[in-house]
Amino acid sequence: MKTREEALSRLGASVGVEFGVNGVRRRVGVEGRVTLLDWLRDELGLTGVKKGCDQGACGACTVLVDGKRVVACLMLVAQCDGREVTTVEGVAGVGEAGAVQDAFVRHDAFQCGYCTPGQIMSAIALIGEGRAGTREEIAEFMSGNLCRCGAYPRIRDAIVDAAGGEVG
Amino acid sequence: MTITAPRIGAALDRVEAPLKVTGAALYPNDVSYPGLAHAAPVRATIAAGRVTAIDTAEARAAEGVIAVVTALDAPRLRRGPVTLLGISPPAPLQDDRILHYGQYVAVVVADTAEQARHAASLVAVEYAEDVPMLDIGDPRAEVEDDPWGMDVDRGDLEAGLAEADVVIDETYATPDNTNNPLGLMSTVAVWHGDGSLTVHDATQWPHGVRMSLAETFGVPESRIRVLAPYVGGGFGAGLRAWQHVILAVLAARETGRPVKLVLTRPEMFTGVGYRPESIQRIRIGATRDGRLTALAHEAIAPVALEDDNFEAVSHTSARAYACPNVMTRDRQVRLNIPCPGSMRAPTEAQGNFALESAMDELAVDLGIDPLDLRLRNFAGTDPLTGLPWSSNALRECFARGAELFGWSRRTPEPGSMRDGHWRVGYGLAGASYPPYQVPCQARASLQHDGSAFVRSAATDIGTGTYTVMTQLAAELLGLDVARVRFDLGDTDMPYSPQAGGSGLTGALGNAVRSACRQLLQAFLDVVADDPESPLRGLTLDEVEAGGGGIHRAGDPGSGEAYTAILARHDLAELSADGRSTPPTPDTTAWAGAFGARFVEVRVDADLGVIRVARVVSVIDGGRVLNAKTATSQIVGGTVGGIGQALFEETVTDEGTGRIANATFGDYLIPVNADVPDMEVVFVGGPDTATPLGTKGVGEIGLVGIAAAVANAVHHATGRRLRSLPLTLDALL
Ligand code: FES
Ligand code: FES
Repeated sequence: MKTREEALSRLGASVGVEFGVNGVRRRVGVEGRVTLLDWLRDELGLTGVKKGCDQGACGACTVLVDGKRVVACLMLVAQCDGREVTTVEGVAGVGEAGAVQDAFVRHDAFQCGYCTPGQIMSAIALIGEGRAGTREEIAEFMSGNLCRCGAYPRIRDAIVDAAGGEVG
Repeated sequence: MTITAPRIGAALDRVEAPLKVTGAALYPNDVSYPGLAHAAPVRATIAAGRVTAIDTAEARAAEGVIAVVTALDAPRLRRGPVTLLGISPPAPLQDDRILHYGQYVAVVVADTAEQARHAASLVAVEYAEDVPMLDIGDPRAEVEDDPWGMDVDRGDLEAGLAEADVVIDETYATPDNTNNPLGLMSTVAVWHGDGSLTVHDATQWPHGVRMSLAETFGVPESRIRVLAPYVGGGFGAGLRAWQHVILAVLAARETGRPVKLVLTRPEMFTGVGYRPESIQRIRIGATRDGRLTALAHEAIAPVALEDDNFEAVSHTSARAYACPNVMTRDRQVRLNIPCPGSMRAPTEAQGNFALESAMDELAVDLGIDPLDLRLRNFAGTDPLTGLPWSSNALRECFARGAELFGWSRRTPEPGSMRDGHWRVGYGLAGASYPPYQVPCQARASLQHDGSAFVRSAATDIGTGTYTVMTQLAAELLGLDVARVRFDLGDTDMPYSPQAGGSGLTGALGNAVRSACRQLLQAFLDVVADDPESPLRGLTLDEVEAGGGGIHRAGDPGSGEAYTAILARHDLAELSADGRSTPPTPDTTAWAGAFGARFVEVRVDADLGVIRVARVVSVIDGGRVLNAKTATSQIVGGTVGGIGQALFEETVTDEGTGRIANATFGDYLIPVNADVPDMEVVFVGGPDTATPLGTKGVGEIGLVGIAAAVANAVHHATGRRLRSLPLTLDALL
């Protein structure tokens, strides 16, 4: 019981970290238990980062950390020291060379839109990694982003299009 | 003044799309207020019994905690009203009885969400436990026959079975499925100094939430505002003012702070409804040449002890085929379970699986192609009333689907089609979804600059409501879509029913149509005696809207712009209300949507892994308002159907009633790689039952997929699986 209390009190204790969010340097003191997801949403108001499970299983909270896809619900702010975090708010918008966003709109690659910021961040990373070559490849590498509305085929269309391929 | 932008029917991009792809659309749990506090519920860990003690000392002492309210000390709250969706859920925390696992027994409010969740884990609850009733066959459980008064008896079933050459008599089972919209159900509640209340809620029915809260908290509806401009899906989970909504409002009242309550994914399995399991016996009798002589569909499903739902699983079978002797039966068993509710394609998701599987079994027994069997028993008139359908393109669905899919390439013998180590199976199913519409209101305003603002308190849960209503209003008012704004999701707007039951597009579309017509009439009234107006003295039937104004029908040169009329009469704007009521056709039978689903599965010959490789869907959706969003509805419904067919099953622990797989890691839904590319085609024309001619398309996309997949698995393997989901262990 004592150790649990101790562990919990450490989680509640403040940790100092310095890192970048969408190009802005942030120096913060934050409780050790606070996830990157909750902090981005609650402290910075970056509510484009969505919470669908808080358990690393749905991809709605996908952000880029140093350019790599990360589910923000499984990362603590305390782990972000020295890194650069990019959210959907930090990438181009519609019509401002946001090729992936534009393609999602054109192909109706969403319905409720709740999974969409996470899908878009994954898609941007996927294209950057050169893993958007075929529909099969896209299907495989986009399978960490759940869409309960079932927009999957149209998500593939959008990514193929944004990556400069032929939409089948 | 020429109209260039696409309007009705055109594949217009979603009008709200830019907000959704940039993360700017604000869902209820994105809303914040200064001084916002956070609530976390405490849930029962038993399924039946009583709470004997709740120790909150540790929780109250935890950092940041503002209040703890428990089932033993909560203020009295009234149960919400009976609405068009039936009874409201019971108010939470009202006594010490535990009726199901996951029932709320306390709520903790703290400064941060982390503090609230942590303190909730410190609330110590003691129980006196009873043995819960969890099994549909529990002899102690109360059973209700014909709970919705919809059982059907037509002709003489026994005589029909006796005259049959072949009789199918099989039992099918579907499990509990959980809606799991991706958006966590969330409520933000703010009591203002004047006693009024604002609630942001992930609901499919803002007015329903308002009605419930007004009754529960004793506040006039006019002092409550419920907002839901964006909702992270629902699929039925957002149809009711569930108990967590009331907990959030209660927490805000008790603390005097704005309060946010966001359910966790595990809490989404016990607090916001789900598709209940079913056991269904089907008997079908037929002559050698495949004419149905008898059809009996008997279904049993569970419901909660002190709550109700609507799930008449067997009913639609009475209108599915031309069959003279029919019986349908529904029964409900009351158990210690969270209350089931509606989940996408309620009733048909389960009932169609059983009926269309049984039809496939009959086709196999008779040696008739499953497609021919359906066409031979096509119901040319409504079997329930004998009246001609208001519209029915089901035969066209089958014909077109067979052609697109290549059904003629199917060799009938099970196991006869192979591709390397894959066994290939072709399966099909017919689909229908009954029509539904309830009263709705809308308001349309023409501003002095000639742009229009149209609104109603509906929701767009991803179906495309914003977009199709914008297109509709633009066409009816003769404006470019860019000059029209349609808004929704706010109870300060005219009354709307829920987005659900595939009923909103018809209800709202006809209300918007009515409002726009009334608005044209209002302009004609303004210029009725106006000597300067070319429209003077004309009636609504003599004019058309177009080019940003009104002109004589068939003569675009003889009219004037809205802006001119408003300016000349010193009007800043002109508004009109519209309403729709459900159609009551007396010479036709109101039809609803139809569809034919064709599926190719591939089954690994050694491992039994089942993959859906191809889906062709041909849908009679009446008049299609936007080809893009309507297609997305069918694609999305199909994905839900693939989930139902292959993956989804909510598992309840036998002894405790605990949900054993209440996470996305354990409750499997389709991922991108599980879903093939698919073809969706709409056929048929406007339905004659309503002026607008639409049919809802939110549910029909799911219907028939599970049966078509099961039928395809039989074709691939010769194994008939009658219990969902279809998993590889059943094939080994
Ligand atoms: S919220 Fe992070 S993966 Fe679901
Ligand atoms: S668009 Fe609704 S979850 Fe993907």
